[in-house]
Amino acid sequence: MSELEQVQVPEVENVTLALDGAGTLTLTGTIAIWDPSERLGPFFQQVHAAALRDARSVLRVDVTGLSFVNSSAIRLFVDWATWLRKEPESRRYQLRFVTDRKITWQRTSFAALAALAKGIVVVEHKE
Amino acid sequence: MNPDEIRQQLLEGGAAPLVLMRFRPAWAYIDGIREFGRFFCQTTFSDEALAERARVVIQETLENAVKYSTPGPEAELELSIFSRGEHIEISVSSLPDPAHLHTLKEEIAWINATDAEQAYVTAFERAATDAGGGSRLGLARIRYEGNVELSVAEQEDGRIRISARGRL
Repeated sequence: MSELEQVQVPEVENVTLALDGAGTLTLTGTIAIWDPSERLGPFFQQVHAAALRDARSVLRVDVTGLSFVNSSAIRLFVDWATWLRKEPESRRYQLRFVTDRKITWQRTSFAALAALAKGIVVVEHKE
Repeated sequence: MNPDEIRQQLLEGGAAPLVLMRFRPAWAYIDGIREFGRFFCQTTFSDEALAERARVVIQETLENAVKYSTPGPEAELELSIFSRGEHIEISVSSLPDPAHLHTLKEEIAWINATDAEQAYVTAFERAATDAGGGSRLGLARIRYEGNVELSVAEQEDGRIRISARGRL
């Protein structure tokens, strides 16, 4: 059984989180709460740790249904890339964000994130 | 020309604010006001992209204002949206903690002096090396994603006005 299946998915207002054992985290809704790092940060860390224990080569984060986020939520994705960058290369997985280019914040923010974390973060566009 | 002068010129030229709202600096209002601003811009200008830009500007300026407002009855926020000719201006005035003002002015001066996309990427780099800090992405995001110029004006009563001005 995948370690990802053991991760408890939290309930956070206005956003739905779904995590499957095949290695995809799907976020749907909006994230504009005061401090997403308190509400979502520990969950993202658990997903990251589980992906490492599973020795996954790729973890997909599908944000195509995430219509809006505040900059504090964007910061969480930056943190995630930073956790990965701190891992030895042999343990790293590819963090692959599935995005919708028609949604402005996704187009701009994930391009910046990919520039920051070359080789770690990959941005995939869903048609 | 500072934002207050621009506003005065707009008013003298016959422009009225399209939106003028005053409210307590409460986080609970932000979602509703952001979505109203998005709806308003989409309906008024029939422009989905502009509505998305307005949504980012309103969210991040209001978050900033709520987080750094001083307590008390004088601390109410004012959101205004003006348009004239080819330009739109979204601004938020607030009564911030004076300690925050210097940082805010420096940040806006740096962002305005830097290419908008580069400022956003640099803000990401800063966030990546500042473990546990606040996001500090918001203002750079406003400029890049909102495609606007930012300014801050101080008023005699201690209030400040952050304005985002761009093309329609």
